[in-house]
Amino acid sequence: MFEPAAIALIPLLPALAGALTLLLGPKILKQQSHWPLIIACVGSFLVSLLGIHALTSPTLEIRQIVYQGGTWFATLGSNPVSVGWDFRLDPISAMMVPMVLFLATVIAVFSIGYMKDDPAYPRYFGVFSIFVAAMTLLVLSDNIVLLYAGWEGVGVCSFLLIGFWFQKPSALKAARKAFMVTRIGDVGLLLGILLLWSGCGFTLQIPTLIEKAKLLSDEYLYLAGFLLFIGAMGKSAQFPLHIWLPDAMEGPTPVSALIHAATMVTAGVYLIARFLPLLTMSPDLLLLIAVIGGITAILAALIALTQNDLKRILAYSTMSQLGYMFMALGAGRSDISGHSLVTFAMVAAMFHLFTHAFFKALLFLSAGSVMHSMGHVIDLRRIGGLRTVLPFTHIAFLSGALALAGVLPFSGYWSKDEILVALDSASHGPNRDGVYKILTWLGLITAGLTAFYTFRAYFLAFWGEVKIPVEALSHGQHGHENDHGYASTHHEVNHDPYGSVSDPTKAHESPWIMTLPLLVLVPAALGIGALFGPTHRMMDFLGSAPGFHADHGDHSASKWVAMASQVFGLGGIAVAFLLYVAKPGMAVSIRKMAGSGYNLSLNRFYLDEILTILFVRPLQILGWLIQALDRELWDRLVDAVARIPAWLGDKFRPVQNGLVQFYALAMALGLTIFLVFLAFGDRLFR
Amino acid sequence: MIQIMDLPPGLTHYLVVGALLFVLGLVGFLARRNMILMFLNAELMIQGVALNFVAFARHRGNLEGQGFVLFLLAVAACEAAIALALILVLYRTQHSLDVSLWQNLREEGLEPILDEEPLPLSPLEEKSPSLTVAGPGPAQPEETSHV
Repeated sequence: MFEPAAIALIPLLPALAGALTLLLGPKILKQQSHWPLIIACVGSFLVSLLGIHALTSPTLEIRQIVYQGGTWFATLGSNPVSVGWDFRLDPISAMMVPMVLFLATVIAVFSIGYMKDDPAYPRYFGVFSIFVAAMTLLVLSDNIVLLYAGWEGVGVCSFLLIGFWFQKPSALKAARKAFMVTRIGDVGLLLGILLLWSGCGFTLQIPTLIEKAKLLSDEYLYLAGFLLFIGAMGKSAQFPLHIWLPDAMEGPTPVSALIHAATMVTAGVYLIARFLPLLTMSPDLLLLIAVIGGITAILAALIALTQNDLKRILAYSTMSQLGYMFMALGAGRSDISGHSLVTFAMVAAMFHLFTHAFFKALLFLSAGSVMHSMGHVIDLRRIGGLRTVLPFTHIAFLSGALALAGVLPFSGYWSKDEILVALDSASHGPNRDGVYKILTWLGLITAGLTAFYTFRAYFLAFWGEVKIPVEALSHGQHGHENDHGYASTHHEVNHDPYGSVSDPTKAHESPWIMTLPLLVLVPAALGIGALFGPTHRMMDFLGSAPGFHADHGDHSASKWVAMASQVFGLGGIAVAFLLYVAKPGMAVSIRKMAGSGYNLSLNRFYLDEILTILFVRPLQILGWLIQALDRELWDRLVDAVARIPAWLGDKFRPVQNGLVQFYALAMALGLTIFLVFLAFGDRLFR
Repeated sequence: MIQIMDLPPGLTHYLVVGALLFVLGLVGFLARRNMILMFLNAELMIQGVALNFVAFARHRGNLEGQGFVLFLLAVAACEAAIALALILVLYRTQHSLDVSLWQNLREEGLEPILDEEPLPLSPLEEKSPSLTVAGPGPAQPEETSHV
């Protein structure tokens, strides 16, 4: 039988592993620092599988296993705050946890090869373990403050891992940017939590909160939900708080795979899905979520079209897919017959989250493998024709790309299809049909763009003539004696920044410790959609979550979008093939034709610059003013006061002239004054 | 003044003499710069104080003041020993008893105060006759008996 207390083991094991690695790593474990993490992840993974088994047993009436492990902290008084170690395994978290742990294990194994010879090897695995602990805590917690603790925990680990190579100024800057931007979202989330807490009788248990919040007024609900969504926007890189995610690619690639593609950035989707039964009470909010998701999806896809950095393309693609998920969540309203789409929308979003985690992790790891073999160069202008040089990586990347593009039997198709069906069903609702109609088409166009930019990257990197950058030869897979953190300095050493050699015999495929995780992920990325989607397993499982109802409604009216998405996807691939393989010259002429549109996309629609002018500059000016005030006024005042004793001392210093008789005279005079005071004092100072 | 003189000898007389002694010592201490004379003046002040103690002891009819004076005398004796030794050392380095030659305790960076009328330096005294050069001692008759 499954003991509920075992749920607490899931975050506990990685936390212990993290503490162990960080304490013992630098002195004792050294290059063996990955073992605690891997053992803990496998252990937690097995526990979570047991948990799922218990969860699906037919004897269970409500599909949840709750464990309350005592109080963490509590305050008394009329507005009590009581935060306990409360964990809840329900279908939503039971889907997330094994996914997180499986990917964490695979990526940890990949990291053994990728981070080999890094001087900070123990730190990497220590923070990695803490991240896994925080992420599972976030997913499993039944208490919203505990969830917030996990939420902040993953944020800190993300910060630490983006800035892992802190010797690089760009990595430092990216880490700070990520932290600051997500902080805006986190403040929103905290305010939302406080609003819900004070509005719902000071409870912090998530299910109670959702039940009680349904009685709140519309405005209150809208505001609280909006604040929660702000938190989700920050964490999940939704427009306009998305600017940190592309920069976050400064971190080690396995980190990008786990944190900035598969798990942490989906925390926002998870949060909104968790609270969806509550948010459906406010159709305006749902519309807002869907529109923000739609804007992010199309915007990121447009930016990804022209980027030259393989990892950035994947980062924008992640953003775009997250936008998809939010679009799906926003579709959770009632359709025309009054039939609530909430479960369907939640399942569509979570299903896409699930499949996306696998194929995006695969894509990122493939990119990491390319980087590893190419001497940390992933500029698509400098690499090419790698399919013969890196055969395993090629297969892995192709599988991931097919899944992401949503080609028919593969994962992405099934989950993207659900989202589009949800959107189309929502567009037959009682009002605001037009917006959802537009969003459906936006989704379809995005699907086409996704297929195009994914295969553009694929063709540029793996087809065409063989191009291998010189860095690949100077420190290929054997010669990693120099620190990864200084990889960027090679651009300065190399006089021709786009220099490349075409001798493929010198470059090597990554070692087996890196290709093995890739090959493990390939079937997962390709097949997991077909395994859970068309068989309705995902719907049955997630639909049984408390607060939702399995929805096998008839969506045949929306089946056209499946066909359409297939047309758009294959069309995108075909265009990419045409432009980058069949007629390579055409891409250049189209670029010239597009002109400013191309520049707009290449420069990320100048959103970074716009946000800098709108928010960063005014704050900088304010900061500058405060600093000037502090330095010029207050500091000077304080300094002036501090100078008084020094000035006095300077005046009295000549008294110490070393002449014995002068001292004696001073004593005599002092004595005289004292005596006069004693004798006549009461008359002088009455 | 006249009234005091007319009085039979009592506490006031002693106190006046003590105060006079003290002031004389004080003025002397401040005015002279020969270290030995300054020292003597300091002694004079001590005696003035001691006289006060004794006078009060007699006036009050107890021995507390007398006890203090005994301590005072002991302290003054010690002081004399140390002060004379110090003065001797100082004299040996500068060949003068002028106290204004010693301004080393002044604040760093201050110019020393120049004496416009310095005491004349005393002539270098003759060196004490030195002992014979150290070496092997004179031969001693061998001990004849071993007790």
